[in-house]
This record gives sequence, C-alpha cells and structure tokens, in this order.
Amino acid sequence: MNNDRTPGPRTTAENEWITLLRDNGRTGGQGAHPLEAPSRARWQLRLGSSVRSAPVLHQGTLYVNSLAGNLHAVNVATGRLDWKFQAAGQIHSTPSLFENKVLFGCDSGKVYAVDRETSAKAWEVSTKGEVWASPVVRGGVVFFGSADGHMYAADGESGKAHWKQQLGGRVYSTAYAAEKNLFVGCGDGHVYNLDAATGKIRWSTPTLNGIDSSPALVGDTLLVGSEDFYVYALDARTGTVRWKYETGLGISSSPAATGDMVYIGSKDGTLYALETKTGELKWKARTGDVVTAPLVFSEGVVYVQSWGTLAFDGATGKMLWRAGLGGSVQGAPVIAEGVIYVAGNSGEVYALE
Amino acid sequence: MDRRTFVKRTSMGSAVLFLSGMDALAYDDEVKLPLPPPIDVHEAPPGKRSPLGMPGLYPGRVVELSDARSIVGNRVSQPVVRQMLEQGMKELTGESSAEAAWAKFVEPKDVVGIKINPSGAPACCSSPELVREIVSAVESVGVPTEHIVVYDRFGYEMDIGSYQLLMPPGIRVLGVQGDRLDAAGYDANVYCQADFFGEWETRSYMASIVAGGVDKIINVPTLKDHSASGVTGCLKNLGYGTFNNVARSHRQPYSFTNPLIGVMCSVEPLRSKAVLNIMDGTRMVWHGGPLTQNQAFIDQAGILMVSTDPVAMDTIELEIIDKKRKEQGAPSVWERNAKSLTSNNGEFYQDASKNLYYRQPGHIAAAGKLGLGVSDLKQIDHRQVRMG
Repeated sequence: MNNDRTPGPRTTAENEWITLLRDNGRTGGQGAHPLEAPSRARWQLRLGSSVRSAPVLHQGTLYVNSLAGNLHAVNVATGRLDWKFQAAGQIHSTPSLFENKVLFGCDSGKVYAVDRETSAKAWEVSTKGEVWASPVVRGGVVFFGSADGHMYAADGESGKAHWKQQLGGRVYSTAYAAEKNLFVGCGDGHVYNLDAATGKIRWSTPTLNGIDSSPALVGDTLLVGSEDFYVYALDARTGTVRWKYETGLGISSSPAATGDMVYIGSKDGTLYALETKTGELKWKARTGDVVTAPLVFSEGVVYVQSWGTLAFDGATGKMLWRAGLGGSVQGAPVIAEGVIYVAGNSGEVYALE
Repeated sequence: MDRRTFVKRTSMGSAVLFLSGMDALAYDDEVKLPLPPPIDVHEAPPGKRSPLGMPGLYPGRVVELSDARSIVGNRVSQPVVRQMLEQGMKELTGESSAEAAWAKFVEPKDVVGIKINPSGAPACCSSPELVREIVSAVESVGVPTEHIVVYDRFGYEMDIGSYQLLMPPGIRVLGVQGDRLDAAGYDANVYCQADFFGEWETRSYMASIVAGGVDKIINVPTLKDHSASGVTGCLKNLGYGTFNNVARSHRQPYSFTNPLIGVMCSVEPLRSKAVLNIMDGTRMVWHGGPLTQNQAFIDQAGILMVSTDPVAMDTIELEIIDKKRKEQGAPSVWERNAKSLTSNNGEFYQDASKNLYYRQPGHIAAAGKLGLGVSDLKQIDHRQVRMG
C-alpha cells in the first residue's frame, strides 16, 4: 500500500487537463493560474446537443462529448471543430486521454478508444449496461465501471480484457487508480477497493445509500461522497471510516483534494471546504442551486458549474463571480493559461477570458 | 363558445370525430379568466379499452397509509416503505398477499413502465427507495428484470435524482428527452393540438415509450403543490409526463392545465396502460411546486397512497395540500386573487402567499368528467391506515 501513497501520474503542464478533475490525482486544477472574473468569451461553439460531462484538454485541443453520441475535438485557438466521432449511443462519460487515444464510455455499453490524430476508432469493448464513468488509465491499463454492475480492466493499447469484477450495484463512479489498488463507489452504497492487477475485492465499506461520487486519495485517506448525505474519509488500507461529515442532501459531486483541504458540493446547493485530516468544516457556501458536479480550483479560487459557472474564494467561501454560461449540473470547467472552458446542457462550449 | 371546452378526437387512419364537452372553468368571480381553446386529439384507433385502464379496477377507492418512521432526518426508510406498500396493495385489492395483489395488475409477459416524477429532485421527487420496492414487487409477479423501465421525460432531472445509479442492475432507466427540444422520443402519430397563446408549435406528442414501448404503467407521482395546476399528482404526472411541449399551456398569469391535463390522460393508449398509482407522500410540498428546493415548504409527511383511480387520488391529494396550506396561513390553491400573483420567481419561492399563475385545481374534476375517475369526495372510498 505504501507505493499507493503517490497519487499516480500528475499533470504539471498548465495547459494539460487529461481526465476528470485534470489528472489521475484528482487535483481539480491545482496549480493552474488563478483566474480573474472573465470579461468576455474568446469564442463559443454550438455543438447542437447537450453536454452532460466535463471536457478535457491536451495539446491545444479540447475534447467534448455530447448527448447526441459525438466526441468533438475543438481547436482552442480558433474555437473551430477539428473533427467529431459518432458513437453508438448517448454519451454521459467524461473523456480521458491515453497516449494518442481519447477514451470514453457510451450509453450503448461500449467504451471507445478514438485516435486523436485520425479520429478513427482504435478499439472498443462492450459491457451490458451504460458506461457513464470516465475511463481511468494507470500503467497502460484502462479501468471503468458499468451499469451492468461490473468493474472492468482492459489493455489501453488494444482494449483486450484483463479482468472484470462484479460489484453489488450499478457503477457510475469514476474509479481512482492507485498503483496497486482501485477505489470506486457503487450503487449498492459500498466503497470498494479492488486489486488493480486481478480485480479481486480487498475490502468494501458500506454507506447508507448509493455512491455516484468519484473518490480521491490523499496520502492514505480516501475521500468520497454518498447519496446518504455524508462525505466520508476512509483509511485506504482497511476501509475503516476515519471521519464523516453530514450535508443537507445526497452527494453526487466528486471531491477535489489539495492535500490539506477537500472541496465537495452537495445536492443541498452548498459547497463544503473540509480539512482532509479531521473533516472539520472550514467554510461552506450556498450556490443557490443543486450541486452535483465536481469542483475545480486554481490557486485560491474554487469553481463549480451549477446552472451557470460560479467562482468562490478558496479561503473564505465568498462568491467572487457568477456567469450564466455553462448551465449544467454535470460538467466541470477546464482552466488553462488564463482561459476557462465550460460546456453545458445547452450544447454550447465557451472559452471565457 | 361558453364555459365549456370542446375536445375533438380523431383516430389515426380514420376521420371519426367525437365531441365531448366538459365544465373546464369552475372558478369563482374574483377574476375573469380566458376560456381555453378547442383541443384536437389524434390518438390510436379505438380498440377494446382495457378494464385495467383509468379509472381501473377500483374506481373511487384510495388507500392512504401513514408512518412517521418512513422518513427520518429527510431520509426515506426503504424497509418501512416496503411495509406500507404491501399493506396498501392488500387493502386496495382485498388480497391476502402483496404478490396476489400485484398479480391483478401485472402479468409476467408484460413490459412494465414505472413513471416517476423527478421534477423537483433532489428535494422532493419519487423516492428511489419506493421505486426500488415497486421494481421488486413487479419482479415478484414474474416480470423479467429487463422488461422493467423506469422512465420520465427529462433525462437531466433523472440525473439529479441519481435514479440511474440507484436502480438495480438490469432495469432500464430512460429519460425520453435528452435535450430540451429533442423530439426523437415521441410518436408523431399521437398528439394533442391546441393554440393557447399563439405559440409557434401547437402540438404535443405522446412519448414513444408509452405509445408502443410498454404494456402497463405504474404511476409514481409525488404529493405536491403546483403553481399552475394547483397540485401535481397522478393526472399531471401522467399527462404532462407523457406528452412533450406542455409548458406552453401556462403563461403568467394564466393556466390552461385545466383542461389539458385531463384530456391528455384520456388519450389512448395512455389511458388503458396506466393501471396503478402509488403516490409518494413521504415528503409533501405544500408551496413552491413543482421545482422548489426550499425545505421550509417541504413537510416530511410520511404518507403513501395507492389507487387505480387517478382522479380520486388527486382529489384526496388536493384536500391534504389545501389543509396544510391553511394550517400554514397560505392562501388556498383555489384562490383567484390578483394581489397574490407575482412575476418574480424568487419571491414565489420564498413567500407562500404568492403565486405565479391563477392555479387550476379544477383540472381534477374536469378529468373526472372525461370518465377517468371519481372527483366527488362523498363518493370516494378513502381508507386511512395508520402504521408504526
């Protein structure tokens, strides 16, 4: 387990945002430049279909999935579409980047790998339920859960199956992939720890309702929200509950962790800043609307999409600004080089600066 | 035209017309409201109407169960809800077992749709805990898991309620509309047409899942006030949850939810397929419906109601909501006072004395006149069961 204390490959380049909450460490944008209130849209692009996931960014291209089943590659310099790929069903999954491939799940039950250069399908694998979770890659292996109740591991290059493991309910949580361990929430209310090499269940810890939230690991503390209204901090080695913090309604939002602090939203319409070690509340802030999306932060500023895009002071929770753009409860902004990229239910993608 | 609405019905592939009149506006004289326009209904060819269809096997019978343990700390208890549901089904049907009761409505060969109400999620919506119990009950009759569909019109509202996550694996969870203007999930041959306010699109189409995707529908509305229709219960959850483009029926301050809700519920095959109503009253919204998240207006009522008759159940719901509003000092849903209106949504969501429309609770009685059920309180067999 000691090897797992490192959170996996982190992105250091400011213009790289390769998976949900930026990198496999779920840092949520930590290190990105702080952003003043945007004064204008550098560009906007209409996709023609709702966006129910978060974009990712790599080498000047923003990858955005839409409900119509399209993966879009958008040139961030121009705001123009480079290409799009048609999947077999609706897409609720946030894309994830691995080498030259864009990986994502689809409501048809498939997970696709699409070549970034050619927009051609590199491989696909099938499950028996929709895949809303974002695929996560570690050590060349892609991990994802399905509504069919299984976790899957496949080779990132070929899509060839490594293993699958049945859990007790639907899986919509995006797994956290440590070096030897996977951590994932499940519709049966359990947090599972699986052996990354075999899929064998090492431990599971029950909560009182399903878990949509995607866990984050800080040191040996695993952080996750549950539909039972609580934020949980578990001992990653044993699954023992270290602390839990009660919010006013269920939690679908995923924690973004800086190390000392964890930020998470609740369906009660509130953002919570908690001390990672103790669960002590540092501040909470009302958004005015339900929060189910993960939070993102740059230095000193916390961002969330909640029927608009909102920014809060990371130290105090004071709202700094609110933009009506990016109306969504599933999306999360991407922040890079002074620009904030948001997409939402309207099917519009904006580059705000 | 006097105070009557005319419904013209056209069967697909024929030119048969059927005229039906009903008293759509049973309002007092505080304000003079505009009359609703004629509504054209284009529906499935008339076949043998199912005896299970509205008002169903037990017209006028409503079983109301209450148990304070069903919701504690704003969390619904699935074990307690299970007991309430089983007791309610036995009381409704007179059967000695819940399985036998369910077998009166559902057969193993059926594809069963469970019509939830996620509008208002997460603060007040059809509880996933109750829906899971309904799924389990349907399975107990022998319906294969893959033949059960939990659905509503709006996928994004279901997302907020996390229904996809919280249903058992194998159940299909369907949002008919992905996007606001997505019409792909609707049947172009079944529709209601009316021009209420000069809107651009005057048709509302039936969801394909209802028109052809399921054999039976279990309706799971919530116990909730509604700013335009008075309450949103069985009828509104079915009518406005089946047809698209329905928000056009109300434009501040006027609402034509009466008669449109009842008319939509009378359209085949919806009428024949909706065989059972299970109202989730664990939480009760007595003001700010259907979307409020303001906990000050949401009572943890601990109620569950069961009926085949949507009109009778909504009549009881209306009584419960109006009683609660009076207890709280809020105006009756029947009030038609211009001073109570506001065009400010924020004010409406904070002030129980304010409303956005002249509410139309008369839509329930109007649906009764279409033959969908019993709206006369004296004729309703209201059975109250206190548990726990």
